[in-house]
Amino acid sequence: MNRRVPLSEDARVNSATGGGLLLWLSWWNAYALRETLVGYGLILPSLLVFLVFYYGPAIFLMYIAFFHWNIFASQSTFVGLHNFSVLIHQPVFWQSLLNTGYYVVLVVPVTTLLALALALLLRETRNLRGGGLSQALVFLPHVTPVVATSIIWVWIFDPTFGLANAVLHFLQLPQLGWLSSVHWALPSVMIYTVWHSVGLYTVLFLAGLATLPKQVLEAAQMDGVRGWRSFRRIILPLISPITFFVIVLATINTMQTFSQIYTLTGGPHGGAGGPAFSTTTDSLLIYQTAFLYLHFSLSSAMSLVLFALILTLTLVQKLIADRMVFYR
Amino acid sequence: MPSVKLKAINKSFGQRQVLQHIDMEVGDGEFVVVVGPSGCGKSTLLRIVAGLESPTSGELWFDDRLVTQVPAHARNIGMVFQNYALYPHMTVFDNLAFGMAARKTAPSAIKHRIDEVAQLLEIEPLLHIRPGALSGGQRQRVAVGRALVRSPFAFLMDEPLSNLDALLRERMRVELRRLHDRMRIPTLYVTHDQTEAMTMADRMVVMRNGRILQLGRPEELYHRPSTVFVAQFLGSPPMNLVSVKVLPDKGVAVAGKDPQVIPIPARIREQIGGRNVVWLGFRPERVVPQTDGAVEGLDFTATVHTVETLGARYHVHGTWGESPITWVTTEREGLTGSVKMKLTVPWDQVHWFDAATEERMVSPERESIPVQVGGTL
Repeated sequence: MNRRVPLSEDARVNSATGGGLLLWLSWWNAYALRETLVGYGLILPSLLVFLVFYYGPAIFLMYIAFFHWNIFASQSTFVGLHNFSVLIHQPVFWQSLLNTGYYVVLVVPVTTLLALALALLLRETRNLRGGGLSQALVFLPHVTPVVATSIIWVWIFDPTFGLANAVLHFLQLPQLGWLSSVHWALPSVMIYTVWHSVGLYTVLFLAGLATLPKQVLEAAQMDGVRGWRSFRRIILPLISPITFFVIVLATINTMQTFSQIYTLTGGPHGGAGGPAFSTTTDSLLIYQTAFLYLHFSLSSAMSLVLFALILTLTLVQKLIADRMVFYR
Repeated sequence: MPSVKLKAINKSFGQRQVLQHIDMEVGDGEFVVVVGPSGCGKSTLLRIVAGLESPTSGELWFDDRLVTQVPAHARNIGMVFQNYALYPHMTVFDNLAFGMAARKTAPSAIKHRIDEVAQLLEIEPLLHIRPGALSGGQRQRVAVGRALVRSPFAFLMDEPLSNLDALLRERMRVELRRLHDRMRIPTLYVTHDQTEAMTMADRMVVMRNGRILQLGRPEELYHRPSTVFVAQFLGSPPMNLVSVKVLPDKGVAVAGKDPQVIPIPARIREQIGGRNVVWLGFRPERVVPQTDGAVEGLDFTATVHTVETLGARYHVHGTWGESPITWVTTEREGLTGSVKMKLTVPWDQVHWFDAATEERMVSPERESIPVQVGGTL
């Protein structure tokens, strides 16, 4: 009896009786089991990679955040919230939170606005000669390896020989210490991050702009609504889902920024996060606590705090979005 | 007297010429329908009048005002788009108010005008709903309303009914036409549906490959098509066209194993002149059974193949010689496969076209058109 039908009301009623159960089992054997096995079989390779290298460590992290765990000792002791209480008494932890906040609050809006502006420009030039090339050039930085381009930017930011100061000199502006200045080190990292990531968000905005219904824009044109007004009243509301997505993605990405800070401010020779902790963000501190000072439990507790922060921020953004985003 | 005049309009996109020397006019209070197959340039024509495209050459006049270079929003045109193009994030009220607000109309005047239009179109209960929650017919009305609130100089409609289902389309057809009869705003309406064109137009324009083939009242175009294309494009089922050989002994013969030779009146014979082969056309509904000399006409014998039942009438598909033909009858009796039928078409209902140019050759005996209904010229 091979009934290749979904579990219907009849089958469910019948399954209460013995005959029904057999029928249900045969249906299950013939169809659902095979479907299920094939499905899981197909995702198995990536599922394994995810379990071992992603979910496994994440769950382990939540575990050791509440223990005193030593990588060299075989046993660990439960210490409750002790790791968190150590954290809040560390000035550098607060400093790192402050740096992260400063970094996110500047990088996310600047990147989003710049990406939107670039997307609007590229949209206007897409049918001109070189339009496609411009798009590729804007996206190009994003596909370069962070560490490699960071090393180039170390040279650009060099106070004596760097391009950045050469430009300032040319513009007859005072020259800066860039990465060696307590005030300018984090902004220097921000400049690099905007340069590296804006291409991705530009492409996302371009995709959003491409879905704008042409006739609606023409209707606005005939209504005499042009320029800024048409942008604010028609284009912006219609691409609001993309804008929301870009903001959430940019927030998560910037809160997790690590590689460029590590490379720009210290690299393998140490000293990353300086000068004077001015570029020590959450993720850098997590790394240093774990792999420089080998306080894995403390570092795990920090990761949990960062996780909670990102989660809260995303939920808040979602709440705001529910009021402001218009889904067609 | 509001009128829209197009003078020698040409339009090219790169190497491709999509409009060639378009001359036409939409007169005061007139409803002109441009009809043609897709890609014939009819939408481009409409977009040029709207100001969404500019012509490569030629002039566009609104009354005595040359508007060729005037931007779209300054032309005071009301346009209804194929997919309505309502602003999806605004309520119906805001959709209607948007254009007026952009023109700095006072809020009280906007409200007053919208109430007026909403009442006319019976969309008052929808004013505070977003387009996403409206049905196709309601969106259609709102789109018309948005074009109407600004009291436009002229109305442009780009296939406005093509997104509706058949039943609603028929209803909206009547409603739009009734609205036009009330407002009397010059209207240019584009469609690929010949039924829509025939039923709604005061005058219609048939286009093909960027040219106007024929322009005139629907009855004119239907009964006196100037080319084979117009003849076949209008009417459902389309006009029958049969290639016939002209015989020196004052008759024509249809192709086939056993060619039937049909004598033709001298008047028609003269106009055919020295041509060897011509197209002969007749409308399916003009075919009648032969009644021994009662009607002077094209007598022929056809073989029945299939019969389509449409309720009130039957469409009979058959052959005359080797040419497939269709005719319409209300009598089902005797209509079975392979039956031979003696049919006739009155001479003034037979159309003759040149085989090479596909243009009409023989002018009719009577210049008047058999049926005349409504319409202004």
